[in-house]
Amino acid sequence: MSHHHHDGHEHHHHEVEPVEGSWQDPADDRPLAVARRRFLAGLGVAVGGAALASAGTGQAAATPQSTNQWGVPQRWYAGDHHIHTQYSGDGQYPISAQVAKAKKHGLDWMVITDHGGVAHQKFSIDQVTPDIEKARKANRDILVYQGLEWNIPGAEHATVFLPPDRNTVDILRAFEAGYDGGILSTPVANGGKGLIARATSADGEPYALAALRYLESQVLSGRTEIALMFANHPSRRGVDSPHELRGWRDAAPGVAVGMEGAPGHQAAGIPKSAGGGGRARGYYDSSPGADSHPGYAPTEAENPYRTYGGFDWMTAKVGGLWDSMLAEGRPWWITSTSDVHQVFDDTLTPGAQDYEKTGSRGAPVDSGVKQGGFGDFFPGYYSQTVVGSRSKSYVDIMRGLQAGKVIAVHGRLIDGLDLRVRALGEGDNRGVTLGGRTFVKRGGSIEVTVEVTGAGGPNFAGAVPKLAKLDLISGPVTGPVVDRDTLSAPGTTVVKSFEVTKNRARFTYVFRDVAGPFYLRVRGTDGNQLTPEGNPVMDVIGDADPWADLWFYANPVFVDVV
Amino acid sequence: MRWVRLVPEFTSVGAHFDREVLSALDKAGVAADLVLTRVERTGPVAETVVFARITSGLAPGTEVDPPETGRCIRFDGQQRLTGKHRLADLVRDTGIDGVVAIGATLDLDTVIDTGGFVRPEYRDGDLVLLVERAAGGVFQPVEVEQPHECCAGSH
Repeated sequence: MSHHHHDGHEHHHHEVEPVEGSWQDPADDRPLAVARRRFLAGLGVAVGGAALASAGTGQAAATPQSTNQWGVPQRWYAGDHHIHTQYSGDGQYPISAQVAKAKKHGLDWMVITDHGGVAHQKFSIDQVTPDIEKARKANRDILVYQGLEWNIPGAEHATVFLPPDRNTVDILRAFEAGYDGGILSTPVANGGKGLIARATSADGEPYALAALRYLESQVLSGRTEIALMFANHPSRRGVDSPHELRGWRDAAPGVAVGMEGAPGHQAAGIPKSAGGGGRARGYYDSSPGADSHPGYAPTEAENPYRTYGGFDWMTAKVGGLWDSMLAEGRPWWITSTSDVHQVFDDTLTPGAQDYEKTGSRGAPVDSGVKQGGFGDFFPGYYSQTVVGSRSKSYVDIMRGLQAGKVIAVHGRLIDGLDLRVRALGEGDNRGVTLGGRTFVKRGGSIEVTVEVTGAGGPNFAGAVPKLAKLDLISGPVTGPVVDRDTLSAPGTTVVKSFEVTKNRARFTYVFRDVAGPFYLRVRGTDGNQLTPEGNPVMDVIGDADPWADLWFYANPVFVDVV
Repeated sequence: MRWVRLVPEFTSVGAHFDREVLSALDKAGVAADLVLTRVERTGPVAETVVFARITSGLAPGTEVDPPETGRCIRFDGQQRLTGKHRLADLVRDTGIDGVVAIGATLDLDTVIDTGGFVRPEYRDGDLVLLVERAAGGVFQPVEVEQPHECCAGSH
């Protein structure tokens, strides 16, 4: 089939004058404001689950098609999909307080994700729901999603969330009761199901797949418009094996769409000498346990259980696990979140209420003393997940996340990014942006244009970060792996590094004589902490100032060859 | 000296598990100079098993051939490792045969901050300690005694 008639959707594509690809609005007086920003050229329409599902095979499409087309009017919305409250046993803040902080730090959307478990399912949900409704009514300018931090049976935690609708709470409640790893592993005598040995043991894996299929069935049956799952802190304990990540995606390609590229708890590595807790950045201080994947062993060369430049090893390692999934042609997106429980240097401490009996810690207690040992930042303060969406609505933001129009940014390293990937000559000349798929005739050229806008003002540490280097990373798409525990993509490399000297910079790179399908992605850094090869440095436990080592990661674009 | 393999019933993990194993051996009046843990993944659920080299006492468990690998929870000189040690001293004073750093080279004067918790790897008869950079220009073992527990450790 000719690529000139690739999807029959040309009538949508009004040419739009490209404008600055920024999510910062100078007219907004809130710090790091992201609301009321101008249209952004360079993001495509939300294509949703259907396109993702069809893209999941890892093969070059038989029929040329592009998704996430460049140049369609859209805006950027910053958010956080991982926020705890007093309704987590290890949390402390009221929902209203978290919403106020998120707003103050310029977020447009946020997801309340208290830990799943017996007490949460029994007691917390009925308190969370009205609190969220109240917060929505009192704060019309921020989207507050109800979600859950799901204990994935057999694995780590994950954000699960839905847009507000008549069935949202019922679905979340049933999902948690049926499929939370904490509940499944808790003995019947203690209110659980007693069906699996441990929350993370391998006998839980089938429940995880069933859980995701359940969520997808809720979408397919029309009980909710969309439901999403992001795997949280995937490398922290080594319990998210590569085959599990692939299995989740395959079980529910419209629901399981990605993972935290960077975990929260970014303040946890602040040195004791600087008044911090002196733990590991992200609380990534673990080592292999019984349920860890044996392929994640620390060696002389690397430690998968640590963060690298604040990002999870799966994401930070070029040619690592994330790349191994992308090299299959498998859409899998990354985010960055706060995972806020207890905030660095806050004076508030958890309430004394019995969580197991009431599902809440009660009101926090002001200790009057700055808690340097706390390892988190408030929502939006350090980590932002920036999403391209055609409107600021609950469903559209989720569609943007689902489509991979997502950038993970730390410490306001950048204010804008406009990525365009297009064919020169025969192929998709309009091109696509983040999370998209484009195509080119075999032997043709693909042009990558990156327009990046540095921070236009200080971050919340009071400094104006300076982007120093952009990396263009690329690798061949080689189709589904035979070994589902594959965790490397040897063909993926940094193809070009650009030195950034201006606050607003535009870079172009052309892939010539394109012989086969491939993907590419972009990351950037302030350049403060680099290995000799230009990669992020493994964060040192007790000595990781998060503000002195900033990165952003953008999601990939896939290129098919026709 | 004989090696035995034990399958403890403990549900604890990490350092807690180690303590329970060692105290159970002590209570049984068994002297073991080398004790290893190893994760076995033969069944539907991974299991942490223990290999102990018995020097005296009536050992529980099954007698087995010497294991090739494991995570060592007891070794000669372990109790001497209480804080910061020069690499040279650490190797001289304990059964640890070598120290390897992630992404760095070490010399005999490198300081290892053990925090009183050392779990070297047993590789074909050698004990190798994997360390990484730590605050203050020292190195520390990759396995720390009390890693962060999410949700207060309830999962």
